[in-house]
Amino acid sequence: MRKDYEKLFTNLKPVEPSAGLFDKIILTIKREQGLQHTKRLIFGFVSLLLISFVAIPFSWTLLVGQVESSGIFYFISTAVNDFGTFLILWQNFSLAILESLPIMGIIAFTVNMALILFIVRLFLYRKRLLLAYPLTYERR
Amino acid sequence: MKNCSDEQLIIDYLKGDEKALEILIKRYLKPIYSFTFRFVRDSQEAEDITQEVFIKVWRNLKKFDQNKSFKTWIFHIAKNTSLDFFKKKKTIPFSNFGKEEGKNTFTEMLTDTTPLPNELFERAGVAEILNSAMEKLSLKYRMVLFLRYNDHFNFREIAETLGEPLNTVKSRHRRALILLKKLLTES
Repeated sequence: MRKDYEKLFTNLKPVEPSAGLFDKIILTIKREQGLQHTKRLIFGFVSLLLISFVAIPFSWTLLVGQVESSGIFYFISTAVNDFGTFLILWQNFSLAILESLPIMGIIAFTVNMALILFIVRLFLYRKRLLLAYPLTYERR
Repeated sequence: MKNCSDEQLIIDYLKGDEKALEILIKRYLKPIYSFTFRFVRDSQEAEDITQEVFIKVWRNLKKFDQNKSFKTWIFHIAKNTSLDFFKKKKTIPFSNFGKEEGKNTFTEMLTDTTPLPNELFERAGVAEILNSAMEKLSLKYRMVLFLRYNDHFNFREIAETLGEPLNTVKSRHRRALILLKKLLTES
């Protein structure tokens, strides 16, 4: 019985989609993929930027604290006030200043600032791609 | 690759092979379009719905349970998308999709074994006769018959696609066949 009906239904005129429907679907999927990628990129930029901005006060406090406790200002002020002695003992003075440098604080703060600059630069570089994406799609 | 199963194509696509998705779309483009066209009977609207169906499929492909049939899953999405379209348009009464009333499960599950009259196949314009008979059937009957005899689904697949109990589908199928045969012999 099933065969009878299947045979009968072969007489129905098949409905065909237009020739461009497949391309339209693929294009829409590609567009959605592009939008998803853009959203992910923007999310990444914003997250990194937020993290960097939140980290600024901490790295600054670390740097200031280490500078204060290192005694580097004492060496510098001595060198400035007694410039003659500094010139005679400049090698020892320089070594003492270098030894007292707050390396960790400087590294933390520099990395923090470099990261912000890098993210902003990357954002500016990708700006056209990120912000102009829907427009470039429309033009296609 | 064109002979790969649906499941294999999905696995390939999820591994990053974009071509696999294209093959999958090509494979189901006509059946899904024809399915949605039966709902809306307008080629432009059917194309819009078909497009939406494939976008939904693509979006949810990662969530697709690969132990289930892709065919019934995609047709189920197509059915829901078509219904959503009607909800937005509010053009057809929802009673068309409602459950049948006054059903007698036992008698209706008995199969109608009487064959179709042979002269029917020999008649001129059998396509027009069938088309006109199908047009007279309600949407729910039409869907069951199309899925079974045009798309070659079994009852379980129809039930999964339409989201109805298996016995409801079987009784609906029987009632649809009785009505169709009546309409065909009358014409």
